[in-house]
Amino acid sequence: MTGQAFFVLTALADGPRHGYGIVGEVAELSQGRVKLKIGSLYGVLDRLAGAGLIELDREEAHDGRLRRYYRLTRDGRGALSQEAELRAATARVVRTRLAQPGPQAAG
Amino acid sequence: MSGELLLERRYRRALRLLPGYYRERWEDDMVAAFLDSWLTGDPDTDECVLEFCKPALQEVASVVLLAARLYLGGAGAPRRYFAWGQAVRFTVLALLMVHAVRGLDGLRLVFLAKGLRAVGIVPAPPAAMAPMPGIVWPAGVWYLAGYVWIVIFVALILGHYRAAKVLALMVAVLDLVWLAQGQFTGALLSPYGSWAFWILHDLVPVLAMAAFHRDAPLVARWPWLLALPASYLLVAVPAPAATATGHQSWVPDLPGLSCILVAFLCLAHAPKALSGRAGTDVWSMTLVLLAIVTMAYRIVSLCDYLQGHYLQDPHLITVGLAELLILIAATALIIPDAACAQTAMPVPSAQPQPG
Repeated sequence: MTGQAFFVLTALADGPRHGYGIVGEVAELSQGRVKLKIGSLYGVLDRLAGAGLIELDREEAHDGRLRRYYRLTRDGRGALSQEAELRAATARVVRTRLAQPGPQAAG
Repeated sequence: MSGELLLERRYRRALRLLPGYYRERWEDDMVAAFLDSWLTGDPDTDECVLEFCKPALQEVASVVLLAARLYLGGAGAPRRYFAWGQAVRFTVLALLMVHAVRGLDGLRLVFLAKGLRAVGIVPAPPAAMAPMPGIVWPAGVWYLAGYVWIVIFVALILGHYRAAKVLALMVAVLDLVWLAQGQFTGALLSPYGSWAFWILHDLVPVLAMAAFHRDAPLVARWPWLLALPASYLLVAVPAPAATATGHQSWVPDLPGLSCILVAFLCLAHAPKALSGRAGTDVWSMTLVLLAIVTMAYRIVSLCDYLQGHYLQDPHLITVGLAELLILIAATALIIPDAACAQTAMPVPSAQPQPG
């Protein structure tokens, strides 16, 4: 799973969001490190919808336009949970290694 | 016309770059997201924004990249776009193979030439691939670039797309520097042909490598890997043999050789293409794309003969035109099959529904 897809799924983990809402949430979750462009976002959403990890939740009228809200499917929640476990395990390994005394860095 | 329509219209115009099936599914949603990114909630400010603002360049660039990925489709793309994607991927590999064959020839010269020079990566002079005089950089860099094309070709086949793209961009820039040096020092023997080669065999494949994205399936590994030594033997053996037997004039130049090889491939593929069998259209499209590149190379390189830059022999122009005609005739046989992929109906993919 790519970093962008991981953040998009995470943004939807606590409830449905519309396109620009996802962009804002991803920026906040990543502390500004991931700034999704709309073109990139819909590339990711299309792929996740195709894989059955997200689905349309509802459509709402806003300023004369329809906003579509997306939510995680059961498979999406499972995939996100699995990916989070994998990343957490990797982070644990890294922290353990960094805690061990090793050769001093040059400089 | 209202201000709201102006900005919205500008976004919709940018989104026309995307394929129709994709626009049908996502356009309204994307426009809403684009507009949301501008609106502040203050009616006066929003009115000005909607009337005078234009889509940001970065946002348009993201749409262009998305369009490239969709038109050059990978796994899960509608049949028509998947066929385009495969044809472009095969064409890129075939064009890179030309570089790789030249790289292999450089290696042959390194290992076989008497008295290896330098650190072993520069063939002993006189070599068929002698770099241009008047250059600034060490000749080894030029030869090394030739060998890196082999690595790029293999990396693409093995699925290391990002590494291949970065390396290809670097080597294309290197080739451009060499070419520019030759141009400014007057060392280019055939300026039209050399620039055409760089544009068609460096720049075009580097740009078309956009087709190798994360959804792109791996190509069949062994046939492509074996195609490299086979192509090398096909190209490298006849030329020295003709020279050794005193028939050097029979050996065509690189554009001519490319015309003959692509025409031969078109003729070999024609029975399958004409049989109406399913699944031949991707290879027909690949060969048509290759033929277009090769024709362009042949036509531009003929300008060198016409202007007397290289080998002032009117006979060569006649031979070049004959090669061109042979290629056009051979390509015409497979064009109808290639066109079949264009008329294939896109496979509708599942639209997410409220659940």
